[in-house]
Amino acid sequence: MKVTLTVNGSHRELDVPPLMRLIDALRGPLGLTGTKEGCAEGECGACTVLLDGDPVCSCLVPVGQCAGRSVTTVEGLGSIDHLAPLQRMFVDHGGAQCGICTPGMLVAAEALLRRTPKPTEAEIREGLAGNLCRCTGYQRIVESVKAAAELRGDRGEGAA
Amino acid sequence: MSLTDLESYELLHAPSLAALVALVADRHASGLHTVLLAGGTDWLVEQESRPPLPSGVEHPVVLDVSRMPELRALEVVSGEGGDRLRVGAAVTYLELRRSAVVGERAPLLARMAADVGALQIQARGTIGGNLATASPAADGVAALAALDADVLVESVRGRRTIPFSALQTGYKTSTRAPDEVLVAVEIALPSRGAPFVWRKVAARRAQAISKVALAGVAEVEDGRVTRFGVGMASVAPVTARLPTVRALALSRPIAEIDAASVDRAVEADVSPIDDVRSTRDYRLHCAKALVRAWLRQLGARG
Amino acid sequence: MQPSVGVSVPRVDGAAKVAGTALYVDDLPPLPGELHGVTVRSRVARGRLRGVTFDPAIDWSDVTIVRAEDVTPNVVALIVDDQPVLAADVIRHAYEPVVLLACADRAKLARAAAAVTLEVDPLPPILDPEAALSADAVVEGRSNLQKRYLITKGAADVGDEASLAAIEAALAGCEVVVRGRYTTTHQEQLYLEPQGLIARWDDHGVHVVGSIQCPYYVHKALTKGFDLPADRVHVTQAVTGGGFGGKEEYPSVLALHAALLARKSGRPVRMIYDRKEDLEATTKRHPAICDVATGCDRDGTLRVLAMRVVMDGGAYVTLTPVVLSRGALHAAGAYRWRDARIEALAAATNTPPNGAFRGFGAPQTIWAIERHLDAVARELGRDPLDLRRQNLLTIGDTTATGQKLAFSVAGLECLDKARADSGYDEKRRRGPVATGRVARGIGAATFLHGAGFTGSGERNLKGKAAVDLVAGGRLLIRTGSTDIGQGTETVFRQIVADAAGLPIGAVDYAPVCTTHVPDSGPTVASRTIMIVGSIVESAARKVAARVAAERDRAGGTFAEAGDRLIAAGEVTELVQYVSPDYVKWDDATYKGDAYPVFAWSCFIAEVDVDLDTFETTVVGFWSATDVGRAVNPVLCVGQIEGGALQALGWALTEEIVWKDGLIQNPRLTNYIIPTALDAPHMTTALIEEPFPFGPGGGAKGIGELPMDGGAPAVAAAIEHATGLSLGALPLSPERLLAASRRNAL
Repeated sequence: MKVTLTVNGSHRELDVPPLMRLIDALRGPLGLTGTKEGCAEGECGACTVLLDGDPVCSCLVPVGQCAGRSVTTVEGLGSIDHLAPLQRMFVDHGGAQCGICTPGMLVAAEALLRRTPKPTEAEIREGLAGNLCRCTGYQRIVESVKAAAELRGDRGEGAA
Repeated sequence: MSLTDLESYELLHAPSLAALVALVADRHASGLHTVLLAGGTDWLVEQESRPPLPSGVEHPVVLDVSRMPELRALEVVSGEGGDRLRVGAAVTYLELRRSAVVGERAPLLARMAADVGALQIQARGTIGGNLATASPAADGVAALAALDADVLVESVRGRRTIPFSALQTGYKTSTRAPDEVLVAVEIALPSRGAPFVWRKVAARRAQAISKVALAGVAEVEDGRVTRFGVGMASVAPVTARLPTVRALALSRPIAEIDAASVDRAVEADVSPIDDVRSTRDYRLHCAKALVRAWLRQLGARG
Repeated sequence: MQPSVGVSVPRVDGAAKVAGTALYVDDLPPLPGELHGVTVRSRVARGRLRGVTFDPAIDWSDVTIVRAEDVTPNVVALIVDDQPVLAADVIRHAYEPVVLLACADRAKLARAAAAVTLEVDPLPPILDPEAALSADAVVEGRSNLQKRYLITKGAADVGDEASLAAIEAALAGCEVVVRGRYTTTHQEQLYLEPQGLIARWDDHGVHVVGSIQCPYYVHKALTKGFDLPADRVHVTQAVTGGGFGGKEEYPSVLALHAALLARKSGRPVRMIYDRKEDLEATTKRHPAICDVATGCDRDGTLRVLAMRVVMDGGAYVTLTPVVLSRGALHAAGAYRWRDARIEALAAATNTPPNGAFRGFGAPQTIWAIERHLDAVARELGRDPLDLRRQNLLTIGDTTATGQKLAFSVAGLECLDKARADSGYDEKRRRGPVATGRVARGIGAATFLHGAGFTGSGERNLKGKAAVDLVAGGRLLIRTGSTDIGQGTETVFRQIVADAAGLPIGAVDYAPVCTTHVPDSGPTVASRTIMIVGSIVESAARKVAARVAAERDRAGGTFAEAGDRLIAAGEVTELVQYVSPDYVKWDDATYKGDAYPVFAWSCFIAEVDVDLDTFETTVVGFWSATDVGRAVNPVLCVGQIEGGALQALGWALTEEIVWKDGLIQNPRLTNYIIPTALDAPHMTTALIEEPFPFGPGGGAKGIGELPMDGGAPAVAAAIEHATGLSLGALPLSPERLLAASRRNAL
C-alpha cells in the first residue's frame, strides 16, 4: 500500500504494508534510526515521535494511519552539526546518559515546550511522564528542559 | 513476538459510517472477523503478545476508524432533559483533556483522561476503544459508569441507545451485538460545580493500570443526595457500579450515613481478585477507603 | 591551559546521542546475507528434557538449528564451569536456552520458534534459598552451597567453628541487644536498550559487535567456547544503551549463541532480545535474607555485630561468589564494631542465575544494617541520625576486616551536609506531619561503598591501558573500559588532557574492540575512573614526558616535537595497574584492606504516605557524597541521582512476581520502574576528600554507591511518617497495609 506522509517537514511516499508499525517504517525504509525501541508496548516512550504535533509511541501506530499526516522524529529537531537549543541543553546539563530514552525524551520535551514555553518543574515531569529513563533519575533532564526553555524565550520555538 | 505477521494484514478505510456498518455486517454474516482500529493502544499490544498465526490462516480485516467524522463528535447537545455531552467513539483522551467544554461541564472526564497512561497514550487512546476492549480496569469506562452514560451503537438494523446500566454482562462481554459499531456516548451533564471524584490508585503516578479507581458524580440538595453515580475499576469482572452504595447514599440524609454502613455496602458490591498488580485484600481495603472519602466529601460522617 | 578536570565539559558522545545518529547495535545496517536469530527456552523451572520436536508443517530447509549436541564444549566459561550454553538433558531453571534458530525471514522465524516443542518431564523445583541448602542438588554433583565467606573480628576471631558461640557470648555481654531479619527481592537492571549483538565468521575468526559492558569477558567466553587462539576472536562494543551490571556477564551467553548460529549457517546472525525475553532470561539482583543481631551500650556505642546472609544465586554460579563477597564486606556498614562475625552463604535454586547489578551485593546488606540501626535507635530512644553519627567510621578506625582507615574518609561531613540541606533536624523535631489523610516523614541512611575490586583483585587482574601519541600533537586512549552511558569516554579524556597538559579536544578515545585495545579489566566495581583512570593518567604522563624531553632537546611545540618522535617510530605507553603498596589482603582469612578506599554518603528521603491507600510518594531527596574528586561534576551528579532513583524503585515498586519459578510480570506494564512524576526533586551535594592514589587529583569510584542508601532512607521516612517499620522489600502499599494491621493488633 502507498502511504504518503510528511516526515520532518519533507513529503515522503512509502510502499509498505499498512499495518507496519510507524517505528519500523521510520527505522527501515525511511532510514531514521534515531527513534529507539525499548518495549514494543507503549510503556517506555523511547519510540516517541510527534504525530501532527502530539507525542505518540511509534510502536503503537500503524503507518497506514499516518497517511496525510505529519511526523516529527529526533532527526527533525536539529542535526548533529546544527543542534537545536533543546538538544544542546541535554548535552550540557547531563540530560543524556546512555542515550536510548533521549530521542523520545527530546521529542516529548519539544511538544511540551511548544504548548508551554515556560514550564514549571511539575509541568516538565508531567510532560515527560510517558518517557522512562533508567540512567539519570530525571533531575538532569528536568534541568536540561528548564535551560532550553530559557534559551528559547517566550516564543517557545525550537529553531537555533 | 507476532508483529511481523501484522505486515500481511489489510487496513481499510470506510467512506462513511453507513458503509462501515454494512461492511462489518457483511463480514460478520460470513463468519469473518473485523477489527475496528482507533488508537491501537490495546489492540497492537495484544498483537505483540499473541503467538504468530500459522501460515494459511486468514487474517482479519482491519478498518481504520480513527478519523471517521461520524465518530469524532465532541459537543454539548441541549434537549428537554437538560444539556447532554456527546463524545464520539474516536475522541481521544488528549482531546477530552484539552476540551474547554469538558473541563467546565464534565470535569470528571477531564481529570480521568489526564490519569490515563501518559501523554503518548492519551494522544491515541479513545473512549470507544476503552469501551470496546471492555477491561474492568479501564479508567474511562469507570467514569462513564459514574456518569450513567448512554452508549450509542449503529448497525445495518439502525441506531440504538444502550444505557450504561444495561451494557456490561460479564468479563469483557456486553449487550452490544458483534455487528454493532460504537458511535458515541452521551452524558446527562451534572449541574455546574456539582461535586465529583476521580481517584486512581496505581503502582505509579503515570503509565499505570489501576489497582483500584473510583469515579463519582453527585448532586446534593438540602443535605440529601439527589444524583449519585459511581464507577469503580479493577474490583469486579466488570466496571463496578456499586448499587448498594448508591442505594445507601440516596436513602437518607447524607449526614446520617456512617463509615461502617459504607464499608458493608462496598463489601456487598465488589469482588476483587489477587493478580499480578495487587491483592484482593488491598483492593477491598482501598475500595472502602475511597468510597468513604467520597461520601465524606459529600457530607457523610467519619 | 585551562584544566579539564573539575569542569563539567559536555559529554563527547552527547551530540550524536541527541541528534539520533549514535549507532547502537540494532541501528547497524544489515550485513549481506544476514539472518535473525532466536532462542527457544524452557517454560518449566526444573525437569528432564526427553526430546525436542519440530513441527513438520514448517519447511525447515531455510532455518538454521543449533542444539546442545552442536556445542563442544557445552559450557559458558566464568568462575565455575557449571552452566551449559544450551541445556542438553536437564532443565535447571525457567527460560533456560535449549534450541537456537536463525532465518532470514523474521515472520517465518517467529512461526518456526512457535513450532518447536520441548518435551520436558517436570520435577518439583527448589525455589527457596534457605531450603535449598538442605535440598537435593540443583546441578548434579555440586553442592547447593555455591559459596561461603566468614569475616570475624575481635571476640569472634577464634576460628570458624568457635566463632558462633564466641559472638553470642559477646552479644550476651552487651547492655542492649537487638535482633532482626531483613530481606530483599530480585531487581531487574532494566537498561532501556535490550541485550543484542551480531556475530559473523571470516578468515580472521569470529567477530561480534553488540551491546556489551565487558568486551574481554565476551572475548574469553568465545575463545574458550570455540577453542580459538585469542587473536581469532574480535569483540567490538557498539554504542551501549545502559548496563548497570546487566551487560557484564550475560552478553557472553548471547555471543556464544549468535556465534554458534553464525558458524552453522555460514551467515552473519543478528540476535536482539525483545523486552520480555530480556526480563525473563537475563540476570537480576540476588535476593537476600539477612539475620542481624547487634549489641551496644546504653549510650548508643555499638559494640558487637553478628550477621548471617543468605543469597539466592539461581541455578548456576555465574558471578555469585563475587557478589556475595561484596555483600559480606559491606555488611558492617559505615560503623565501628569491636566484635563482628559476618557469615555469608549463597545457595543454588531452580531460578535463572542472578548476577551483576550496580551495588553487587552491597545494597542487600546495607539495607539490612541500616534498617537494623533504625531498630537500635528505636530501642534506645535515640534519633537515628545521631546514633549513626556517634558510630560512623573515621580516620584511624578499623573496619570489620581489620582495615585501618588512613585517608579520604568523609562520612561525617556527608552526614552533616545532607542533614543541613534537608532540614532533617527541624522536620524530625516537628514529628510526622499529617495533612488530611496524608502523613509526611523523613528518614536517612549513611553508608560507604568500596571502590575497585575486592582485596587483591586489582593486583591479580593487572589491568592495562595505553595512550598513543598521534600526528598533530594528539593523544589516543586505548582501553577496554566501556562507556555505557556513565561518561567514561569524556572523563578519561579530561584526565588524560590534564595529565599531558593538552586541551581535551586533542584527546581521542579508540573504539573499544578487543583487537585494538588492551584488557583494562571489566567495566564494573566502581573501578573505571579510579583504577583505569589512574592507568590512563599514568600513561599520558609518560607520553607527555617523552614529548617534553624532545622539546627540551630540539624545541618546538608539543605537536612539532610529537611529530618528530612519531617520525622516528611509534610512540605509545602501555601501562599496567600497580596496586598501592599499603593494600594488604588475605583471601584465606578475609582480613585486611578489602578495598583501596571507600566512597561515603548520606541519603535523606522525605515521603508522603496516604494513610487510606498506603501509597508512598517520595517528595524530597537530599544526598551528600564523598567522591574524592569530581572529575566532571555534572556527570558525577548524574551517576548519583540515577543510582539513587534505581534504589527508590527497588524500595517502592520493583518486584519480580514468581509462580512455580516462572516470572508473572515480564513486561514494562507490570515491572514498575519510576517515571519522572514518581521521582522526587533531588538535591545532590558532592564532598571532595581526595584519594591520594586517585586520578585527576583524587577521584574515587562512585558508580555503585548510590544504589546502597535509597531503600533504607525511604523505609526510615515511612517509619517516621506512619510508625510502620518494614524489614522486607519492596515497601509496597500492600505490605504497609498488612503491617498496619499487625500494628493495630
